[in-house]
This record gives sequence, C-alpha cells and structure tokens, in this order.
Amino acid sequence: MQKQRRLKVIAASVILLCGMAFLVLTGIKRTSIQHFTPAALVADGSKMNNQQVQVDGLIAEDSSEWDAANFKLTFAVLDRETAATVNVIYKDRLKPDNFTDGGSVFVEGKYDATQNLIVASKLMTKCASKYEGAESATPTNETSYISQ
Amino acid sequence: MTAEIGQAAIFLSVLSGLWAIGFLWIGLRTRNQNAIRSGRNAVIATFILISIATCALIYGFVTDDFSMRYVVEVSSAAQPLLYKITALWGRMSGSLLFWLWLLTVAGAIVVWQNHRYNKETNDTLSDYALIPIAVVQLFFILLVTGLIEGVYNPLARFPNGQMAPDGAGMNPLLQTPSMAFHPPTLYIGWIALTVPFAFAVGALASGRVSSAWILRSRRWTLFSWIVLTIGITLGGNWAYRELGWGGYWAWDPVENASFMPWLLGTAYLHSVMIQEKRNMLKLWNILLITLAFQFTLLGTFITRSGIISSVHAFAQSDIGGYFLGFIFASTAGVIGLIIYRWKRLKSANRLESLLSRESAFLLNNWLLVGLTLIILWGTLWPIISEAINGQKSSVPEAFFNQVVIIPGLLLLFLTGAGPIISWKKITANNFQRMFLLPLVIGLVAGALTWGFLTFVKEESSALYSVLCVSVSTFVVVAIFAEFYRGAKLRAKRQETSLLNGLNLLIQRNKRRYGGYIIHVGIVILYIGIMGSKGYFLLESKGLRIGESMEVGEFQLTMKDSFEKEFENYRRTGVVFDVAKNGKQIGTMEPARHFYYKTGQGEQDTIESAIRHFGVNDFYIALGSIPPDVKTGGIVNVQAYYNPLIGVVWIGVAVMVLGGIVAIAEKSERSRDA
Repeated sequence: MQKQRRLKVIAASVILLCGMAFLVLTGIKRTSIQHFTPAALVADGSKMNNQQVQVDGLIAEDSSEWDAANFKLTFAVLDRETAATVNVIYKDRLKPDNFTDGGSVFVEGKYDATQNLIVASKLMTKCASKYEGAESATPTNETSYISQ
Repeated sequence: MTAEIGQAAIFLSVLSGLWAIGFLWIGLRTRNQNAIRSGRNAVIATFILISIATCALIYGFVTDDFSMRYVVEVSSAAQPLLYKITALWGRMSGSLLFWLWLLTVAGAIVVWQNHRYNKETNDTLSDYALIPIAVVQLFFILLVTGLIEGVYNPLARFPNGQMAPDGAGMNPLLQTPSMAFHPPTLYIGWIALTVPFAFAVGALASGRVSSAWILRSRRWTLFSWIVLTIGITLGGNWAYRELGWGGYWAWDPVENASFMPWLLGTAYLHSVMIQEKRNMLKLWNILLITLAFQFTLLGTFITRSGIISSVHAFAQSDIGGYFLGFIFASTAGVIGLIIYRWKRLKSANRLESLLSRESAFLLNNWLLVGLTLIILWGTLWPIISEAINGQKSSVPEAFFNQVVIIPGLLLLFLTGAGPIISWKKITANNFQRMFLLPLVIGLVAGALTWGFLTFVKEESSALYSVLCVSVSTFVVVAIFAEFYRGAKLRAKRQETSLLNGLNLLIQRNKRRYGGYIIHVGIVILYIGIMGSKGYFLLESKGLRIGESMEVGEFQLTMKDSFEKEFENYRRTGVVFDVAKNGKQIGTMEPARHFYYKTGQGEQDTIESAIRHFGVNDFYIALGSIPPDVKTGGIVNVQAYYNPLIGVVWIGVAVMVLGGIVAIAEKSERSRDA
C-alpha cells in the first residue's frame, strides 16, 4: 500500500514536471527571438527572412523620418563597430522619448531580408548616462522601469 | 562633518557585526549567557550605527551638501523635500545603505521580541536566528564601506574638497508618490523574508527542527507577503499611470525579480501548514524559505549586474558578482547544515492519498515553485540561450503570458478546492457536501460566459475567459459556502445572528479565514487581469486641433493646447472633449512634463490622462507636442479603453485585507512548541 502510494506521488510529480517543461520548451520555441547586431543580421539575412529578430545598435545620423500624421517612424540602425545598417519602420505607436541621432536603440520586429527592413513592434531608446558610467533606458510606450 | 561621522559609523559597524556573530556563536556553544547578551547588544549597536549613517546621508540631502557625490547624483536644490528624502534609495549605493538600515531594524526587532519571549522560556532559537541576520548585515556593510570595487560609499565626498554647484536631480519619472514608496515597500518585504530564513538556519544550527521556528517567524512571513503584495502593485500602478503604455505588467526582468520571491513566499505560507498539521515537509520548508530568501538577492543580482542588458534599465556595476558569490556561499552553508541535521529532518508521516488536502497543498507548492522556475528561465533566457548555442535570444511578453496561463488557472482552481477538500483522503460524502454545488454553479457560469462571448460579443477564441470565469465562480461559491456553514454553526451554537456568527468565526480562526479572504481577492484579481489584458482597445492617431477620433464607444475631439511653467518642469498638453455614444461627458487633459534637472540631462515624460468609469478606464497618452500645435501641428494620440482594470486594484486590496486579518492571529501555539 505504502509503496504504491509513493509510486503514485512520484508519477504525479513527474507528470507535472513534464507538463511544465513542455510548456516552457514549446513556449520558448514559439516565441523566442534571436538577437543580432546590424552587421550580423545583414550577413545572416536570408536565413532570418520573415522572422522575428532583435537588433541593438545606434540610430544612424540623418536617417530618421517621423511622419506624425500617419504615425510612422522610419530610420536606420547602425552597427556599433562596422558600417552595416538595417532599416526600420515603426508604425502606430508613439515616437519614443529621447529618440535622437546617434543614440542607442533596441528594435524588435519582423525582418524582411529582401529590403533589409525590420517592421518593428517594439522600440526602446537609451541615452548614455553621464553618471555611474552606465547606460540607462528611457521610457517608450513599451519599456517598463527606469534607471534608479 | 556629518558625512564623516556617518562614514565612521559604517566602519564601526563592521566591528559590531563581527562582534555579534562571534559572541553569539561562542555564547550559544558554551551556554555563556553573558556572551549571548553581548552578541545581542552588538546587533543593537549595528542598528544604531547604521541609523546614524542613514541620518547623515539624509542630512546631506536636506542641506543640499553638493560636496557629497551621492547627493549630487540623485538630488538637486530645486527638488521638493519629499523627493530629496526618497533620493536616499534613488540609486545603487544609497539603496544598499537603505536596505542595510532596514535589515538592522529587523535585527533590532528580533532582539526585542527575543527579550520579551526569553523572560518566560529561556529559549535560544532566536539567538541562533540572529547569527544569519548578522551575517547578511555584514555582507551589506562591507558593500557600503566603499572598500569594495564597484560600489562607492554613499557618504563619500568628492576628492580634494571639490564641490558641485548643484545636483543632477532625480529621474523625473521617479518623482511621483507611488514611485517614491514603491522601492522601499519592496525592500521591506524582501528584508522581512530574511527573518524566517534566519529562523530556519537557526533551527538547523540548534537542531530544533520541529515547527517552533516556523511559528516564531510566522508573522514576519505574513508581513513580508502583505508588504510585497502592496509593493508589486504600487509598481504596476506607477507603470500604468506614468509610462503611458496603458498597461501595468510587462514581464520585465525587474518586475519578475520582485514577483518571484512573492511566489515562493506564497508557496512557503502554504507548505508550513502541512508541517504544523501533519508534521511533514520539514526539509521542504527549509529549502523553500532558503530559496525565497536567495531570490530576493537574485533579484538584485539580475537588475544590477547588467547580465540582462537588452531590456532592463538599471545602472550596471560589478556588484552582481558579489551578490552571486554571497548567494552561492550562503546556499552552500544551508546545504551543509541540512546534511548535518539530515536524520532529524525526516518526516514521520506520509501522504495518504493523492486526493487530499495535503496533496492540494503539495500541488499548490509544485505549481508556485514551477511558475517561479519558468519565470526565472524566461528572464535568464538571453544568458541561457547564449550559453547553449552561442546565439543570444530573448523571449517577449507573449512567452510569459502563454506559459503562465495553465498553471495559473490550476492555481486558481486550488484556491477554491484546497479549503474544501478533506485532510488525509477525500470521501464521497466530502465531495458531495462540499464540491457538488460549487462545481455545478461554476460550470453553469462557464457555459453562460461562453454563450455570451460567442453569440453576443462574437468572439472567436473565448476559451481562457470561459475557464477563468467558470473556475472563479467555483472558487467564490466554495469559499462563501465555507463561510456560510461556519457562520451558521456558530450562530446556532451561540444563539445569535448569522452576521455575529460570521464575526465570531473569523475572530476564532483569523489565520484560516483571513487566508480565505485572500483567496477571494485572488479571484477578483484574475477577473481584472482577464478583462484588462484580454479585452482592452487601443487606437492611435495623429490629430490637429479640431479633429476627432473614436475608440470603442468613445469619441475624442482635440479642442485646444496649453502650456504651464512649474518650478522644475514645464507642462504642455492638449484638451479633449470626450463623448460616450455621442453624449458629452467632459474633458480630459493628457500632457507631457519637460523636466530641466533629471540626472540625465533634460527629459520629458508622458502624463497620461485617465478617466474612470466604474472599474473601466479610459486612458489617453500623448507623443511629443510640436511647437506649431496651435497652427495645425499634429499631435500623436494613443487612446486606450481598459475594461475591468479597477478590479485588479480591488482584488489586491482584498488580498491585503485578508493578509491583515490573518496576521492578527497571535502565534499562541508557539509558546508550547
């Protein structure tokens, strides 16, 4: 009796554990988004066509255009080390605060390799902090917490 | 001068910390009461010294002492007094000092409680518990001395008598009351968790691993839970009102870091009941509270180390390494003690059936710990993925939303099933008496919701909403029936009214019925989350003055713009005429604040306008306002309709109320434990 009950408990725990692991693994597979530098994305471009990507870089000088009437922001992300750029279009959201040429930017969205274009669903800007030698994000409509 | 006194106090506290650890340990080993007393006094001395240091820093803020580095970084002469004081936890070194100060307060309270308790019993458990508290304190003391690379002493001045003309000022987003009180609330909750952890370690060290340590620290745990609940909600509420994206929870690493200890604390609050009632799970409870405590440190590690660099926003530093080191070292210490006490930790009783209250508690624990690990995995995924295949990836909000939903609904079910299932083994009688009615009503409610959503609202994917409503109804009926049965019985026995009976029932068993009130709060919270996350409406449009837009039943017309100057910011915004179904209901004035002194140069913030319609909110946020707005410039408008969002706050309020009822129960049983 005792042994059987223990077996049951173990079986139930294993089922639960497998269930959770299944949730996590499928969840990650379905939603996880690969992170690139602009240079890496341009080099790897065709493989990532039509897939969600994250890109981290700088807002290229003189590349941004804000069409307020249509809620459309277009700009290019410049690689931090090379001259590679990726174009970005960000629609139907507020233009983030502190969106200035040369600033750090983090973009998430679907990549179109043929046009080297990310249709962004998420955009975060960062500005170099003068203190503590670190970067701190500023809010956009998607960010959450602010440098403390 | 005050800064120097504060610094001296910090350095002296290194000594008092070492003194406390050494004398308590020697005293307890050799049963030398004088040494124990001396150790306790050293804990009080640490409290006094760190209080002096904290006051010295606050004095620096209030007197605008711009020769102090930390003051310059987070304060400015124009900053209102309240925010000069809250600047104490505005950045890292100050937060660490504040955290340490709270820890020393906790230590002093434990000594005081101990003093009262010891007069009667001569019990050494809490003296043992003081040692781990002093060790954690010492870790934080070493961090704020400024001797460790990566963190400077918050009381340090600039070298060579330099002085800044004015401070940089606090981030304007933090200059709101809810943000002023959100971080300290979380800190208090985290630090309160240190005490039950310390009691667990004390129990292991002293060899008294019965339930005494749990009972003695029960109120600390509940207090921590209540405060964390409030703190997390304040954060969500702040994000909702200040960040202008219409939501309150985004599974950001920082949010997750505050949520994971809460989940583990919740698990622990449940599992200790099995130990008290059935003398099982001794080892598990010790592990659980250790884990909960480590997660409070892990939270700091995640947010401060910069390992999750892409999304979160705290300043990076080397401090993460020290935290990780301390986490490993202290966990190793606990594991060592567990091995040492292995024999005493074996449970006398075993689970008798998979369908019993014990199993319900166990399942609750598995789910809560499982959820914590899932959230941890998602939060650390950028590092994990890079370690696995060299390619950094991260998971978006959608991952968390999808993954938590099934465990979340199971947990919701347990909030109703747990209280009504019988101990040891469910019987046909128990099922019929307790489960049948709630189950039937829950199913009917689910069916009605399904019909309403599919045929009236014509929604296509209503599965989770139907489940949520159905399970919620089950829980509410089950718990209300529990209250009703109990109250009726009391009323009959005492020959009084049903309401009096209810009062008596709760008075007699505050912990149990406080817990049930929390469960009702959870149900309310779920309904609020379902509505606000599942059914919000969002419209974005660029508008000129005179133009209109529509969101659901609401019509907005932009009437005018305005600009006002304040002491440290300028407010610019627009005025909307708002109509619901064509009927005018008033005006709303969303704006942006442009702050001059922010610590990061000039910065502007979204000041969304929110109007409540019962529990539903109408919410407008603005993009930047062009200078030519009066002459045809376009303003970007985002308008949200957030149904049931008020229910979220109500749910939390009910949870906190239940927590207060539960904490009111005195731990009388601890006297004979």
